[in-house]
Amino acid sequence: MENFSEVMSLFLSVDNFIAIAVGVLIGVVVGAIPGLTATMAVALALPFTFSLEPVTAILLLVGIYKGGMYGGSITAILIRTPGSPASACTLLDGYPMAQQGKAKKALKTALYSSVVADVISNVALIFFAAYLAKIALNFGPPEYFWLICFSLTIIVSVSGSSVVKGLIAAFLGIIVSTIGLDAVYGTQRLTFDNYNLMDRVSFIPLLIGLFAIPEVIDFYTSKVAPHIRTAVTGASLTWQEFKASLKTIIRGSVIGVIIGAIPGTGATSAAFISYSEAKRTSPRKDNFGKGEVEGVAAAEAGNNGVAGATLIPLLSLGIPGDVITAIILGAFMIHGLTPGPVLFQENLTLVYALFCGILVSSVVLLVVGNAAIKYFSLIADIPKTILLPIVLMFCIYGAYAVNNSTFDIGLMLAFGILGFVFNRTGIAAAPFLIGFILGPMFEDNLRRTILISKGDPSVFFRGPITWVFVLLTVASLAFAVRRYWVTRN
Amino acid sequence: MISTSTKLFKSAVVAAVASVTLAMTGVAHGEEWPSDNIRLVVPYSAGGTTDLLSRKVADLLQKELTTVVVENRPGAGSTVATAQLARGGRGSDHMLVMASPGHTIGASIYPNLRYDPVEDFVFIRNVIDIPNVMVVPASSPYNSVEEFVAAAREGQLSFSSPGIGSSIHMSGELFKNLTQTNLIHVPFRGSGEALPALLAGDVDVAFENMPTVYPHIQSGKLKALAVTTAERSEFLPEVPALQEVGAEFGLGDYVTSAWFGLIAHKSFPEEAQAKLGAALEKIVESKNFKSFLPQFGAVAGKEVGDEFRAFVADELEKWAEVAEQANLKR
Repeated sequence: MENFSEVMSLFLSVDNFIAIAVGVLIGVVVGAIPGLTATMAVALALPFTFSLEPVTAILLLVGIYKGGMYGGSITAILIRTPGSPASACTLLDGYPMAQQGKAKKALKTALYSSVVADVISNVALIFFAAYLAKIALNFGPPEYFWLICFSLTIIVSVSGSSVVKGLIAAFLGIIVSTIGLDAVYGTQRLTFDNYNLMDRVSFIPLLIGLFAIPEVIDFYTSKVAPHIRTAVTGASLTWQEFKASLKTIIRGSVIGVIIGAIPGTGATSAAFISYSEAKRTSPRKDNFGKGEVEGVAAAEAGNNGVAGATLIPLLSLGIPGDVITAIILGAFMIHGLTPGPVLFQENLTLVYALFCGILVSSVVLLVVGNAAIKYFSLIADIPKTILLPIVLMFCIYGAYAVNNSTFDIGLMLAFGILGFVFNRTGIAAAPFLIGFILGPMFEDNLRRTILISKGDPSVFFRGPITWVFVLLTVASLAFAVRRYWVTRN
Repeated sequence: MISTSTKLFKSAVVAAVASVTLAMTGVAHGEEWPSDNIRLVVPYSAGGTTDLLSRKVADLLQKELTTVVVENRPGAGSTVATAQLARGGRGSDHMLVMASPGHTIGASIYPNLRYDPVEDFVFIRNVIDIPNVMVVPASSPYNSVEEFVAAAREGQLSFSSPGIGSSIHMSGELFKNLTQTNLIHVPFRGSGEALPALLAGDVDVAFENMPTVYPHIQSGKLKALAVTTAERSEFLPEVPALQEVGAEFGLGDYVTSAWFGLIAHKSFPEEAQAKLGAALEKIVESKNFKSFLPQFGAVAGKEVGDEFRAFVADELEKWAEVAEQANLKR
């Protein structure tokens, strides 16, 4: 009881609530702007937290993280420009919904799924941190290898009408991902001695180019003025629809939590795995990619499920799972705190005060998200002749801002042309993206596994986790083949 | 129906108006330095150790001088940002780069460097020094450097790093060269990925930065065999320096650390060097800075001016040789 009052006295300060609200707000806005990522916002906010109380400082950063994860979906849905990598999956169904005049429904679906996933993720953080951290520690290179193999099978479900075209796109994505210095020997691959390509192709310019630019080109090359106005009017999400998607949301959240707890896998993969699972189990499989509510719900649940869970390895092991948690780790250290088992022994009150704040952040996300929908929806009312040049400018600025590199602008435009060609030839861009993200992880972990075992292949089947993912991979492929067979006959 | 040309015209007008609105206005130049904001360029992405430390230094520096704007310009092992600094030109009298081991390692690895890593710069001051620690998993049978080297000479052991060309990777390569062992390098992407593999015993050893492994040494999940600095670290006083225990294996001169110091273009005005140097001296001595350092297992950097230049030149020589031997030179 004494502890409880200590926790409350640490948590119940106006500063904390302001920090959460400001953090989530910054996150949503920054997340929604293409090229400005939550990572950049967290890094920029860090110096401002030096003078704050530790709990307040961390909550501000966590708020930005969570807000950013949701904010990315707004522009993904409205203008097919994912504000952050993790929301690339959201646009698969979000943008078609907007085109059908159901932007409001899509935005609300994204928000409610995000909030539910966020709550589930927080609960997992608070109650199962120790257990999930143990799983995370058992994830060595062979386990990652199989997890990535399993993740690669989702290419089938995001390929659109043709699996063959999807595989071609994925293959191209993998080839583009090999550009740069080889991770083990440092050999140059497809760099043409260009310095800008040695650290691989930047993700954000690729993302913006692939999805946003084709829309712009399409608009200027089409003879007919698009009559579609993506105005955020129209029906909101009904309780019935929400209830129908709830199973998908919960499943997506759990996938997000597990992926989030394993360092280095990331929200983008979680969103796609969740999406693929939702599609596989849905009775309306064929509507996925054409504006399916559950598609948006699955994607957003997947990526927001990651947000709370990435704090699991951070708080319980002191291991940051992604760049944002690495910055948050820095914030802890600047305030003289060391995340890991020691933190739980020495600063338990602080940990619980943080947990309280993190729970409150979910509620704040709901409120701020609703307000954001109202204001961002104004974007949708802007006529395209005015909106698209502004989008193009943001795309250029966003591509530049990530690395302050003009080379990246050219890269973004090149991928824009590729995306346009994809559109015209009926090749889905999502498999390309998945190939680009997972290709290097596949290669790295394959090579690491062989390095740590000194060439002994039995390490690929060294424990229960490897077997679980082997079976999942086989099952997923078998399912895909069966479905292909059934539809063909 | 709107014609394409009307669409284009309207769009062009909007784009023009918007660009003008976004355009940055220049700041008037005065006489005395700093007459403008200082740009501190971090040659790595936002969120890394270099970024974090740079932002702290920037925060303290702007209390002494003027507004300091931190900019991230990652690429090719820090050489992209450094090349930009070396080019000089307008604004280079207010531009600084936070140099780190990447400055010398990058120069040893990347091809066609368009600058001289020593001659093209003014070296202001080494600000922060972080030792690396040679750590093995708690489950490891090796309890000393001696045991480890003996085992590594017999069989094949592996070391992890957060990536090729990092100071952690190069520390391992240097160890491998000097002890004439056959360690296998297992690269990860960032310490966040490398650490679990080490904790789980998938790799045998790592030469990690102190702040990354310190909590795990404290909690008993990792064993520290030695620190890589010339002297013991005040944070792990019971852990020997590699030089102390490794002389018989060729480690008598072994010293590596992650250092972070400010460099500027070679035309950087002398007045500015003096002012900046004085401001940094004040910062390094400040209570705020001194209480900040222990969080990173760090100590204040000592080398100033030409001393710093000589230190970098030594580092360059060392890493060039290691890169050559490890076949890393591209």
